[in-house]
Amino acid sequence: MMSVLSLELGIFIAGILGASAILQKNFQEPGNEGTKGVITSGLLFTTVGIVASGWTWSIHNSLMESGSSSMCASEGLVQCGSVIGDPQWNNLLGMPWGVIGIASFAVIFFVLMTLFLDQNAKRSPQFVNYLWYLGIAGLPFVAWLVVVELLLVEGAPHICPYCTVIHLSMIGVFVSAHLLKKRRGNSTW
Amino acid sequence: MARRRGKSSDMGKNNDETLLWAGLATAGVVSLVVIASLALAPIVSIGPEEGNRAPDFVADAYNGGSWYEFRMSDIWDWDWDGNSSDSKWILIQFIDTDCPYCWEEGDEMSQYHAQWKDRVTFVTVSVHLNIPNHDSSKSEIEAFRDKTSFGTNENDGDGCNSGRDNCNTRPGTSHQWTYVDDPSNSIFAQWELGGTPFTAILQPDGIVAWNKLKHQGQGGDGEDLPSALQRLVGDS
Repeated sequence: MMSVLSLELGIFIAGILGASAILQKNFQEPGNEGTKGVITSGLLFTTVGIVASGWTWSIHNSLMESGSSSMCASEGLVQCGSVIGDPQWNNLLGMPWGVIGIASFAVIFFVLMTLFLDQNAKRSPQFVNYLWYLGIAGLPFVAWLVVVELLLVEGAPHICPYCTVIHLSMIGVFVSAHLLKKRRGNSTW
Repeated sequence: MARRRGKSSDMGKNNDETLLWAGLATAGVVSLVVIASLALAPIVSIGPEEGNRAPDFVADAYNGGSWYEFRMSDIWDWDWDGNSSDSKWILIQFIDTDCPYCWEEGDEMSQYHAQWKDRVTFVTVSVHLNIPNHDSSKSEIEAFRDKTSFGTNENDGDGCNSGRDNCNTRPGTSHQWTYVDDPSNSIFAQWELGGTPFTAILQPDGIVAWNKLKHQGQGGDGEDLPSALQRLVGDS
């Protein structure tokens, strides 16, 4: 159990909880301040997503180098080795999912940062729509990767904690995007 | 103006500098993450070229008794120190049970196995080339490996060697090593191959030590498989 609950995982979980708390505090607050809060929570979810994706990429590289990694457990139900180290499933068009995660969250980060820097710009409604579409597009991948973890990898079921952090970040991004879209719709922007 | 901005639904002008700063912030965060990730664990070169880590795979495999899930890296000795003779090298062969050259190579493989089996683990990957009369199946792979009856000796498309022969007439003895089924040719693609047969020798830690195409292809030194085994693994 100690090998599962590491400092890094604790930081990622704190990031998710912090983003959720900011979202909870602001989503019903009308006006600029509430909107800024929802955007901030989205940015925090996205930052956790980017960093956790980078972490899984490192785990993947260390597994390819030595067959094991000190960055995550490789035994038991909750572990990374059998999920991130699986050559068949941790792979989309030859790229590990960690790299795809970094790229995807980077696009979301850019859209959110644009909104954060000037939430009243003329482009904002359009960018909120982009964000919502990006959030929606991420959900099937989250669902698919959960299926992979639970049913398809060698020795399934497994739960990869860092992958779960990334999935939660993506869900958080979608919720933030959805709330921003609602705020635009009901003029509480 | 200040009063208008105070309205929550008011939309102002687009400022291109916002996009620039957002882009710079994104590039900064991504760069930091990528640099930190690579500092923690650099990218490993994976591929069929000599010196690279061989592509790993998980696939159905047949050991003479039953089919089971086989993972290539499970037979690697990740801690191999480069000298220990306790660890076994790996010979990976790609065939199609209907490929005539693979049919002929069956005898050579039997001889190599008899000579080097104590120091080399043999793995054969059976691919399914998209060629007429090259329809393969798990039953055909079992029969090719075990030299058991499958198909006829008529040129009727039924059996091994483009459907010309009963699999029990394959040259060589029955093969006492693992056969992997690659129905989607995904392992074949990872190895960037264009045809069969193909062989490569891996170090015990999974690093490609000899690739047939490098030595026997255009511009190669002509070194063949037994010479390479002799050079790398030594006397059996």
